[in-house]
Amino acid sequence: MRPTNKNTMLKVVILGDGGVGKSCLMNRFVSNHFDEHSFHTIGVEFLNKDIEIDGETYTLQIWDTAGQERFKTLRTPFYRGSDICLLTYAVDDKVSFRNLSMWKNEFLYYADVKEHLHFPFIVVGNKSDISNEEREVSQIELESWCNENGICNCIETSAKNASNVQEAFKMAVQYWLKAESRADKNEYSCNDTIDLTKKSGESRSSCCIGATEE
Amino acid sequence: MEQNEEKVEEIFVQEGVLLLSGPASHIEYMKLTGTLYITRYEKHENEYSTIFIEWKPNENLTIDSDIQDQEWAVVNTVEKRTRTLSGSLIPEEANRSKYLRVNFDTIKSFKVANSGRKILFNDGRGDVICTFSFQNGNSTCFIASLRQHIKTAPSRRDKNLYIVVGEIGNNDKQIETSFKTLSLFPDDHNYMWSFVKNFQHRPYETTMEAFAKVTNIGNYFWNYYFLEYLIVYNERPLDDETKEVLNKSIIAIESATTTHTQDDYEVVANVPKLPDRKDCPRSKPLTKEQWLDLQNCEGKIEDVDGIKLLIFRGGVTPSLRKSVWKYLLNYYSWESTQKERDQVTKDKKEEYYRMKTQWMTMTKMQEDNFSDYRERKSLIEKDVNRTDRAYDFYAGDNNPHLQLLNDILMTYVMYNFDLGYVQGMSDLLSPILYLLQDEVDAFWCFVGFMEKVLSNFDIDQAGMKEQLQHLHTLLAFTEPELSTYLDNHDSGNMFFCFRWLLVWFKRELNQEDVMKLWEVLWTGLPCQNFHLLICLAILETEKRALMDNNYGFTEILKHINELSLKLNVNFLLNKAEGIYRQIEEATHANDNVRDIVGLPKLENGNMDSPNTASFTYLESSADHASVNIDTNEVSYERGISNSYL
Repeated sequence: MRPTNKNTMLKVVILGDGGVGKSCLMNRFVSNHFDEHSFHTIGVEFLNKDIEIDGETYTLQIWDTAGQERFKTLRTPFYRGSDICLLTYAVDDKVSFRNLSMWKNEFLYYADVKEHLHFPFIVVGNKSDISNEEREVSQIELESWCNENGICNCIETSAKNASNVQEAFKMAVQYWLKAESRADKNEYSCNDTIDLTKKSGESRSSCCIGATEE
Repeated sequence: MEQNEEKVEEIFVQEGVLLLSGPASHIEYMKLTGTLYITRYEKHENEYSTIFIEWKPNENLTIDSDIQDQEWAVVNTVEKRTRTLSGSLIPEEANRSKYLRVNFDTIKSFKVANSGRKILFNDGRGDVICTFSFQNGNSTCFIASLRQHIKTAPSRRDKNLYIVVGEIGNNDKQIETSFKTLSLFPDDHNYMWSFVKNFQHRPYETTMEAFAKVTNIGNYFWNYYFLEYLIVYNERPLDDETKEVLNKSIIAIESATTTHTQDDYEVVANVPKLPDRKDCPRSKPLTKEQWLDLQNCEGKIEDVDGIKLLIFRGGVTPSLRKSVWKYLLNYYSWESTQKERDQVTKDKKEEYYRMKTQWMTMTKMQEDNFSDYRERKSLIEKDVNRTDRAYDFYAGDNNPHLQLLNDILMTYVMYNFDLGYVQGMSDLLSPILYLLQDEVDAFWCFVGFMEKVLSNFDIDQAGMKEQLQHLHTLLAFTEPELSTYLDNHDSGNMFFCFRWLLVWFKRELNQEDVMKLWEVLWTGLPCQNFHLLICLAILETEKRALMDNNYGFTEILKHINELSLKLNVNFLLNKAEGIYRQIEEATHANDNVRDIVGLPKLENGNMDSPNTASFTYLESSADHASVNIDTNEVSYERGISNSYL
């Protein structure tokens, strides 16, 4: 069994177009702090944060990169060895939503992931605090994109008002645990302390978990 | 190699050891926990050692989720994350193939890392044979046991590095055989000895030059064996002077060589000392009186070099910046008269507004049909909203200065559409606009700044990569110890300096200091690429913090990122200039180094020191003079391609 006496370090990469709020999500999660006018990221930054799930502590090493296409060659080396990938867009920015596929592909290409199908991707629609008039991407669109792309987990967040940010990272770790136990499943039966195993069976099409279910 | 029927003695067994990296044949077991053994087999014909380290994965293929060392994963190309599915379970009968067996003859050194929790075995040719992580406890018992059977020499440079000298009780034969494979010396033992004897009559540095030659033919470890052999095992009595020379040589080999993980074992040139650092104190900023004094009655600057030197030495009095920056940023030519400048101002204003009108008059339909433009516009909008908002000048909602930032950047898109807008550009514009407080002036000065740093924004980032590479080359020259340390800690690509270089320390300094630094850098004095020497000054300052804490890839990045707003500009300028003077005066600076800072190439072409010529007696191979001109660069290239591909 997985050792229980020590922290597990998980590498989390946050990807998405420039300006969707990657750094803000990270800062809200790590220090519960939000600055609407914080700098855009240049280069690469990372922060560590512990998260407890089912009595076990996980240390998330969260990597935040510059989102502009131009910096691709300097960003992609950092994908390698990732355990979890947060694909982010802003719900008031249709283009950032359309680019999710590009981000997913870029990640899979450079992260050197063996099991594409089961890699723990979490799709995060940030800026859920905006008014309905400003919204360009609906929850339905989000869920259907996830279904089409075989991603089981999506959530809408607001780094600004802190809504669902902790949940998004928690969901990411839970999904990672599920992917891990899927990998060991012939060795061990599924660990039934993981909530998500009950919600989602083998069929990928039926397991989209929206923000409201948390 | 099937060893099933052989007699095996298990000298040591430790469970809970994770295979972090290893040969390709074992790729599917990487990141798995298993058992590590030290075993002794009966003597084999083709192997010098009977001692092996062996590792086999646990029978139950536990997926270990605890990757302590994430940075490893970032750069190591061998790294494969194996999420073993049920399908790849190895049937019991195939279990033998799971064993990773390494003969101690192939291990030339090993290194302990992560407070003893990680151990790396090196093959001496620059590759890591395998790496293990001790999940329960650490490697102390393993190493203690190992050292009962294998003679190791702790490195004098790195207390965590052990050089494998040979198997205990088997030394002489083994080492002698090793020397034969060198084919460097005739079989006659005395020849070797006379070679060494010669050392004591030669200057120390010359001795090391000779070793560099040896190393081109053999490799670092052969030298090491050789010296160890002479000191420890030779039956002849050594006089103290010879011992001293040999000991020094060993130390020099260690300090001049990368002894851990990458392919730089070939470099074994002793690094001569740099000339002493001169103090280059800063002066007072350029004053209004000086500025006016240096202009003639037409308003033309008489002594451009003199002015630049004054600016370089002390910067510009803040109240005078508004004027001087326009020259530094090529808006006005230094040779222009007041009358000519008035004309330029008028022309440039017209030109600016013409370009501004181009994007301002774009219709909705045009925009809808012009995705490249929309993309640039949208990113500018986003970034303007998050540029220097903490400063009063840009603070608050609907601040008109934000509109100016936006308009200038949008106009720059029309000025240079191919480049468009790249993140970082708003950082470069912000202090200029803050200082000049004029849209047109700020635009043209920004254009001038962009001219100087254009390659930072190359579409393929080639300019940034080149600068990082140059920085590494310079560091390897001025701070070889740190440079080697970075190489050994997955940081030889200098990624962690990316932000410094992209926006010229804009994110590292407060507004006043950024302006002070930039105006000095804009003078182009004392040499080209002086901003790289600022990097060297910071790195030198942080060297002890990085190395004493034994920081790895992630910690280095974090430490460097956290230097933001903690740097002292005057201190760094002083230091950077001192470093430049050292490079300028150093007689051993090779052309790569000289070229980066714009010094003319040396007459003789490369780093061959005059001493080298006297060592022709050593020569057995025609290409002895081909000391790698800059192996650091080679290893950097490698690092980069590893990282970028």
